[in-house]
Amino acid sequence: MRPENYQAVQLGESNEYEIFIGPNHPGIEGNYALKLVLDGDIVVKGTTDAGYLHRGFEKLMEGRLWIQNLAIVPRICVPDPAPMEVSYSLAVEEIMGIEAPIRAQWIRVMQLELSRVAAHLFTFGGHAATTGMYTPMYWGVADRDLVLDLFEDFTGGRVYSIYNIPGGVRRELPNGFLEKLSNLLDYLESRQNDYDNLLFTNQIFVQRAKGVGILSKEDALDYGVTGPNLRACGLAFDVRRDDPYLVYDQLDFDIPTQQAGDAWARILVRRDELFQSIRILRQVIEKLPTIKGPIRTPIPNPLSWNVRAGEAYARVESSKGELAYYVVSDGGDKPYRVHVRGPSSMHAVQTLEYLAKGARLEDVAQIMFSLDACPPEVDR
Amino acid sequence: MKKELLIKEKQAKRTNPLAHVFDDFIDFCQSKSLFMLHYCTGCGAIELPPAMTSRFDMERLGIQPMVTPRQADILLVTGYVSVKTLKRVILTYEQMQAPKYVIGICSCTVNGGMYWQSYATAKKLNDYMPVDVYIAGCMPRPEAVLEGLQRLKENIKNDRKQQKGSAWKEYFANYDTYLGNQQHLFGDDWQTPVDIIAEAKLYGLEGEGTYGKNTEKLAKVQQPLLPQEMKL
Amino acid sequence: MNDLNNKLNDILSRVNGIKITHKRNRRVRVDVPADSLTTLLELIKGQASYVHLSAITCVDWIKDNEFELVYHVWSYEENCLISAHTRIDRDEAKFVSVYDLYKPADFFERDIYEMYGVFFIGSPRMEKFILTEWHGMPPMRKDFDSEAYVQETFNWTEYNPDWLQELTDQGGGIAIKPEDIRLSGCLHNMATHRQRDKLKATQKVGKGWKS
Repeated sequence: MRPENYQAVQLGESNEYEIFIGPNHPGIEGNYALKLVLDGDIVVKGTTDAGYLHRGFEKLMEGRLWIQNLAIVPRICVPDPAPMEVSYSLAVEEIMGIEAPIRAQWIRVMQLELSRVAAHLFTFGGHAATTGMYTPMYWGVADRDLVLDLFEDFTGGRVYSIYNIPGGVRRELPNGFLEKLSNLLDYLESRQNDYDNLLFTNQIFVQRAKGVGILSKEDALDYGVTGPNLRACGLAFDVRRDDPYLVYDQLDFDIPTQQAGDAWARILVRRDELFQSIRILRQVIEKLPTIKGPIRTPIPNPLSWNVRAGEAYARVESSKGELAYYVVSDGGDKPYRVHVRGPSSMHAVQTLEYLAKGARLEDVAQIMFSLDACPPEVDR
Repeated sequence: MKKELLIKEKQAKRTNPLAHVFDDFIDFCQSKSLFMLHYCTGCGAIELPPAMTSRFDMERLGIQPMVTPRQADILLVTGYVSVKTLKRVILTYEQMQAPKYVIGICSCTVNGGMYWQSYATAKKLNDYMPVDVYIAGCMPRPEAVLEGLQRLKENIKNDRKQQKGSAWKEYFANYDTYLGNQQHLFGDDWQTPVDIIAEAKLYGLEGEGTYGKNTEKLAKVQQPLLPQEMKL
Repeated sequence: MNDLNNKLNDILSRVNGIKITHKRNRRVRVDVPADSLTTLLELIKGQASYVHLSAITCVDWIKDNEFELVYHVWSYEENCLISAHTRIDRDEAKFVSVYDLYKPADFFERDIYEMYGVFFIGSPRMEKFILTEWHGMPPMRKDFDSEAYVQETFNWTEYNPDWLQELTDQGGGIAIKPEDIRLSGCLHNMATHRQRDKLKATQKVGKGWKS
């Protein structure tokens, strides 16, 4: 078979051309491809081509023990792996009918919010780079690395922590960790002005991002958009508040929204969310030392661990949107079925196709990054 | 055939100790300035931005990212390669100009890693293209990536002494084997736009393994790639 | 909350052959026969503001020779998730698309079509998407053995460095070879281990979690 995508194809007698962007392209997030029909530099039609990152996760999980699966779930979304672990653990806990101890729940919240901070810092850089601004990328990646250092400190892993297990978390926080975290939050807050001047109010960026990829509230609801992308259209929906899990109902935080629904609104929502996460983390720092107790509800020997028959749909809010695990057990030592609902499977396929239509070629990359699409969530 | 003989004669005649000075100098220069194309095939790609930017700073080693395969020296395959991606990786690899080097990052490129059960990922990158350096780990830290790149630089520098930095010649010399493995995965009508046999002839790199029953199969299905008609 | 539940129950009870289970706060499980599923979705979307299709899942119950389709629908106003379960025949894997009601169904239905081979009548793009280079049977079906396929398709890297060779010559070496782990023979080994552990576990924990 000849690989089909190495030549531009002219369609009939018209002046339209069909070209491929990706899968290996600087303007594509991850390993993903877009087939565009162009008239001049206006996109007439965009079709996504996924599957480059397909590993058959759902099949793999059916062949592994409940505990073994914890090692592979974070790999589904690389920039933001913590929600994957937590979501899977929550689903298994619900089937088993147990709950993590209260201290473990607070630690999980801390891990989730740290992961959100890291993911958003990464996204700022990526989004800015598509408009030709590379400095925010350098800053974002460098500041994200500080968060990763903290991850290494309390979980042992830099990117994939595999810190959660059904029933709680794997180990206690090291001594003096909360102090380090507090210092990091101080530093990140002190950077707010710099980031604002460099990126969020910078005319070079604002002019490129304003009015690009406008998504109305109705369309967003139609296409199943969730997370920051939905909040940028004016609907204040957040799984953390409206379908609370862990201890989010005891936390005090706002849900930032924007009305415009364009690329700029989306990045502003993420910026505000970053500082809300810092606010949550401050509350965690205050609360954690007052909670004593175990960090894990005991589970039977993992090698002979049969989870009773049942099913659960566990949702969490990841940095991309609504992430859900549907886990079915038939009473065996392996899951009968695990379905992953990645938020990007909505954003990167239908929404991207819809937004790319009528956009200019140079804006397509920006639209994709502004949606914060994570291709492995689509392919799994 | 004549050309091959000529080259062999030339190589045999080189007895002067100073004959390699210029070649060594070229190798030295080459190892100091490398352009890298990172194909983000998997998770390992997430550790590349830290390795490239301020904290670990790959540029101090003389390595810089490049956006097109035509001008790149190193192909970084960062993680598991699904069969669909593998097609594109091979396409990318063949487009690169020699001398070219391949680095496989993550355990998945070595032996399938934790996806060994998966029907969708290819297990050994080695089967489909010659790999210079493997960096194991799931995923390797930026320090490990830099270490691997250093290793590659050493190999390139000492290429003529140790014959380590010229894995790309293998692809021409044993094209039949590599093509056979590719055909096994992609079907017998697999064809890429680059004519490897013609290139091997041109550079005098053909060996006994260049031709075989797999290349015969290819010759049967091969269609020439015609230029597109341009209209205004 | 009770008012809401009553209202929802009123709406749901209009559907033929429905079975409602309130699983926990904000989670309702509904079992319906296949032919009244679209009626149910139309009702809850039109009258109870369940506008967000969170996911469609397919479960392969090979013993019952059935596919189970699960529609997870969320209401932004009532903050409640309804999971509508329905079962279809496995041999005649066809169902009606809900694309007219929920646009995200396009993605999920295409995914299920590829992975399970369930054809959705009326879905706009019933074609390959993720598995364009795949020619075998739908891989997520339970009767597809991924491990056997891998064994006959791919090779493995031999790992035999000098230091390991020396150890092997002295009579040592690796206790369980990778190829043993890969083949199902290891599963048997693990099963015996597991039985032994099970004994221990029951002695320690008492009843265990399986109820």
